[in-house]
Amino acid sequence: MNNKDGFTSAFLFRILVAGAALLLVACSEPAKELPVNTRLGGDFTLTDHNGERFSLSSLNGEVVILFFGYTHCPDICPAVLARVSQVYRNLKEQGEADRVQPVFVTFDPERDTAEHLREYLPWFKADIIGLTGDVPAIQKVAEQYGVVFIKEDGDSGEADFTHSDYIYLLDQQGRVRKVYPADFNIDEVVADVKTLL
Amino acid sequence: MLKRFFSAVSRTVSAVLLVAASAGAVADVRIEQAWLRAVPPVSPSMAGYFVLVNDTDEPVVLTGARAEFAGMAMLHDTSTDGEGRRSMSHLKEVTIPAGESLAFTPGGRHLMLMKMDPVPEAGETPKVCLAFQNHADLCGAFQVRHNEP
Ligand SMILES: [Cu+2]
Repeated sequence: MNNKDGFTSAFLFRILVAGAALLLVACSEPAKELPVNTRLGGDFTLTDHNGERFSLSSLNGEVVILFFGYTHCPDICPAVLARVSQVYRNLKEQGEADRVQPVFVTFDPERDTAEHLREYLPWFKADIIGLTGDVPAIQKVAEQYGVVFIKEDGDSGEADFTHSDYIYLLDQQGRVRKVYPADFNIDEVVADVKTLL
Repeated sequence: MLKRFFSAVSRTVSAVLLVAASAGAVADVRIEQAWLRAVPPVSPSMAGYFVLVNDTDEPVVLTGARAEFAGMAMLHDTSTDGEGRRSMSHLKEVTIPAGESLAFTPGGRHLMLMKMDPVPEAGETPKVCLAFQNHADLCGAFQVRHNEP
């Protein structure tokens, strides 16, 4: 982790506490073969940013970076989107992105319609597939991946979501091979992706 | 000749040091490391971060923010529970004790801008002002950027 002046130690501490379990898992692995996570994951079908039905299994043969969020979230979600995009662009520069696909699933289908995702995502220049759908369908996907989200009425009069924000690395068979916290190390993910290509 | 050169250099250095020292000695409240996270132009909101330094002998109470390009500006706090769930809440006021500073950083306290027209782009440095209960408004240039400085 590259430490920056802007970070307070309190913030770092919070991140460490929140991500402690994950970091321990990450550190104890000698970066060889990533174990298959049998507790999380699975295929699902939602609607993509073009309004078409989209199944995760249609990406078999590609390494997927799967993450959740919503576009009305200003603090962590754009940061995660930017970092995932950076991973993708780094891989692309190295000529390794042909079989890598970032996939973003919204918690907020009411506001994150296919059309809105289609306008929002290309800005990140990472060929991200945006997925939306009805609330029960998204809820089910979230459960499969152990993602928690709770809709709340924000102070601004707009809905906010309390949510977990982990990032999932899926292999070419769609199996979860690693889970990262929101402040993941970009180089680590790039290296992990390459082990699955 | 060489001596004169060195004495000139030393005079210049002293003058610079003096200016620096007097600038540092002014007791004030100031915004440092101010930036906004770049977001797509269709974004309904964006977040800003900064460090607020209170070099005065009195606590200052930060109560809000405003920006010309944003119809709404608020101070928020993001909290993370033991299971990694994050949520945002409105910070109605924050006290910065005398001689201390307070950081607004990603994943924590942040400036939240909504109803933007237009959404500022990476590289721009729009003005954002902070409001206090017991101090005049403070305005600063917030640099729009993709990553943390
Ligand atoms: Cu906020």
